[in-house]
Amino acid sequence: MLYFLDLLLLSLVVGLVGVASNPAPYFAALGLAVAAGVGCGALVGHGGSLVGLMLFLIYLGGMLVVFAYSAALAAEPFPETWGVGSVKAYVLMYLLGVGVAVWWFWGGYGDHWVVVDEFKEFFVVRGDVSGVSLMYSVGGGMLVVCAWVLLLCLFVVLELTRGLSRGALRAV
Amino acid sequence: MTPVYFSFTSAFTLGLMGLAFHRTHLLSALLCLEGMMLSLFIALALWMLQLESTTFSAAPILLLAFSACEAGAGLALLVATARTHGTDRLQALNLLQC
Repeated sequence: MLYFLDLLLLSLVVGLVGVASNPAPYFAALGLAVAAGVGCGALVGHGGSLVGLMLFLIYLGGMLVVFAYSAALAAEPFPETWGVGSVKAYVLMYLLGVGVAVWWFWGGYGDHWVVVDEFKEFFVVRGDVSGVSLMYSVGGGMLVVCAWVLLLCLFVVLELTRGLSRGALRAV
Repeated sequence: MTPVYFSFTSAFTLGLMGLAFHRTHLLSALLCLEGMMLSLFIALALWMLQLESTTFSAAPILLLAFSACEAGAGLALLVATARTHGTDRLQALNLLQC
């Protein structure tokens, strides 16, 4: 199981290589979706079932759909995949860099990261679920701040994209 | 470095390098930013799970809310750029006229 979690985490790194090597935005969004999926698997494997579910539903389901729609604004007649031209060179260069970093930094197999609630039996809720419930009691201030920031972000988006005589975008 | 620590550190570094070095499309830069936020989310969640400090588990969720704001503002800038310049290539933003 520990080696499988290491495989998931290395797949996260490979997904980020696919994002960072500057392909066309379609394929970069695909790489980010792969990274989010295997990151969800790694979180679930480490014992955080609620944060993994939240990553999968909110991040992958909400945000990446918006990114996939926005990829239509960056459409190209011949989108570059990871196998052609400069993108291939960047992929090989980043993978080589990751390989050098693995050779230099990898270690510590004796002290693997433990998962939450390990060696404890008869739990009713997992640890992260009981931690999240604090956000609704003593952490309510940050919840109010988050809701306020999201509301402010809505007005920021509306002002940025309105484009009449009074907004931030007056050229159109 | 344990493999877990190595993984999200190198993922963050890769996102930062992609944001710093490759900027043909504005959407590519935003996707690299999202990758950085993804690695930060995974880092906070794994720290919470490893240290068994379950009161910390609201922190990755608050980070996810703030990264949603960041993604919304970035995509609004992308839409505004596509409306004024007709493309999202950053080379077009250097031109002096729209």
